[in-house]
Amino acid sequence: MAKRVLLAKMGLDSHDTGIVTVAHILRNAGYEVIYLGLHNYADEVVNTAIAEDVDAIGVSFLSGQHTTQMRRLLDAMKKSELDLPVLCGGVIPADDAADLKAMGVAEVFSPGTLSAEVVRRVELAVGA
Amino acid sequence: MTEQEQTTADPTSPARDGVFTTAAGLDIEEYYTPAAIEDLDYDRDLGVPGGYPFTRGPYPGMYRTRVWTRRFQVGFGSPQESNERIKYLAKTGANGFVITIDLPTSYGFDSDDGIADGEVGVTGVAISTLEDMEALYDGFSPDSVSYALSIRPPVSTVTLAMLACVAEKRGVPLDKVIGTQQNDPYYQMSGGPLQTVTQFFPLDATTRLCIDNIEFISTKMPKLNWMVTNGYNLRETGVNAVQDGAFTLGHAFDIFRLCQERGLDVDVFSKRASFFLSCSIDFFEEVAKFRAMRRLYAKTMKERFGAKTDECCRLRFSVQSAGNTLTTQQPQVNVIRTSMEALAAAFGGAQSIHLCSYDEGHGLPTEESSSIALRTQQVLAYETGVTKAVDPLAGSYYVEDLTNRMEAAISAKLAEVDEFGGMGECIKRGWLEGQINEARYHNQEELDSGRRTLVGVNAFTCGPDEDPPIKVHKIQADVWGERRAAYLKEYRAGRDQAAWAEAMGQIERAWKAGENMVPVIMNAVRNKVTMGECHDAMRDAMGWSFKNAARDAAKREGVG
Repeated sequence: MAKRVLLAKMGLDSHDTGIVTVAHILRNAGYEVIYLGLHNYADEVVNTAIAEDVDAIGVSFLSGQHTTQMRRLLDAMKKSELDLPVLCGGVIPADDAADLKAMGVAEVFSPGTLSAEVVRRVELAVGA
Repeated sequence: MTEQEQTTADPTSPARDGVFTTAAGLDIEEYYTPAAIEDLDYDRDLGVPGGYPFTRGPYPGMYRTRVWTRRFQVGFGSPQESNERIKYLAKTGANGFVITIDLPTSYGFDSDDGIADGEVGVTGVAISTLEDMEALYDGFSPDSVSYALSIRPPVSTVTLAMLACVAEKRGVPLDKVIGTQQNDPYYQMSGGPLQTVTQFFPLDATTRLCIDNIEFISTKMPKLNWMVTNGYNLRETGVNAVQDGAFTLGHAFDIFRLCQERGLDVDVFSKRASFFLSCSIDFFEEVAKFRAMRRLYAKTMKERFGAKTDECCRLRFSVQSAGNTLTTQQPQVNVIRTSMEALAAAFGGAQSIHLCSYDEGHGLPTEESSSIALRTQQVLAYETGVTKAVDPLAGSYYVEDLTNRMEAAISAKLAEVDEFGGMGECIKRGWLEGQINEARYHNQEELDSGRRTLVGVNAFTCGPDEDPPIKVHKIQADVWGERRAAYLKEYRAGRDQAAWAEAMGQIERAWKAGENMVPVIMNAVRNKVTMGECHDAMRDAMGWSFKNAARDAAKREGVG
């Protein structure tokens, strides 16, 4: 059965080129992708992840809110006892990327990652 | 060549199946001869710079008379902090400012709204009150400093009202106020057009406010640029130069049509119209795009809208270099990319240029990276001599032919837009979003396959450890948010509650009566109605609301 990935933008940031492109890449690679669109709140993402029984959650940021929003998402997951790999992409300074990984984020993708590399690293985190 | 230089792409062969094309897919011949421009009629198709159809530039003399404005983008944290930064930059030679607004303000929310949590002051300055706008103008007079606010309605109606009130308070007559209000209702916040322009305010209401602003500005504040059609954000989503030209002009033409429907005179309202455009990396295509857009605009203004004066047919534009051409990898190389983009913008006849900072792919610009962006422009403007002859590429067989073909391609795309009934309809029906998404997939495939070379990404790569570390701008979202919340609490507590309630009531009444909202909002902000409250009052008047979980959660927790 195809693995299911939930993708969402959080907060007010609306730069969605990256996440829309990743949705396309993952669909082409055989994943079932549920994309929630813009302006989601941590609880909504977690509730959808549970309801849709997904295998991973992916979010992306281009306006500097990654640390705040990821902390919220991870807290909400903990509260709901949801244990899934979380993937993050976008314009994220190297120091912050290291912090995110320390917080438990499975993968941090930078702009300019080619499709094959995206798929390879998602497979590592989620399983093929 | 080291091993690392040879990667997936084969950069020695830029042709696809033996065919050379521009980024947008227009064919490129091996070389061009006089035959390519056989039909070119100099007076009809080019004309002198500053003369119809303005192919060669909107003004006589161009950069010989005045070098383009080196715009500087500024805006973070509080209005006071941003004002300090503007004062510093003014001393270093920046002579125009693009004020970026934080995301909550961009959507019409106050800094203490639950939805703003973690976003205050991050991507721009927060403006919630008339006092905030006054702080932004501290030390500067609205008739002497030019701020360009990158903002769209409904928010631009409130910022316009605030600006008019600042002028009043300082004793500056409204007809002397300079600056720019980006007032493009279709401009999306850099992403999915449908959701960003419809989620927090209905699109038709946004459009009404856009026309209200134009009506107010064109009669009372004639020196203010009333509408900058924002093609930049659209191009940043990944569409090509032809789509860029067509959709951007489509935005403007839709608004002009609505202005005429409101009974406004095209020869008055179009005088101060201008454009904010992207300059991307495909050099000759971008030069041709700017020249073609100028010609097509001139013809359309005259033939379709019946503009009688040349002034109304003259497309003026500011440029920002394309952020989406920059790489996270080997970031210093981005300085070269922006230099080439600046040169294309200069050859394309831009009135003002803003270059992205090289660290765009890592975070918000630092003082050092912004300074390099400004210095790059100064070298181009003052050292290279490219400013000395106007439109120096004119008459090139290739450039004139490409200009002709760009114009034809943009025209054809614009005809598709018109078939839908204009850009507003294209957005509402999701057609634009479809075009954008197709372009995004296409761009990724171009990179994956190596058909498009991107140095440091699919060719000439180096390992991440070889990338020198770069400094990034530190964000203090939590600190800014707390400070702003405390300030607004005090502001609300200190106001005359009866006058405030009366002003809120006026908004609702005027909205329902279909009045021009600018004077009504001026009255409101004078009575200390905040940015967010103006929006709430208008939404309430429409009986329109939106669902937002962050806002709901904040209310449950008793904050915001």
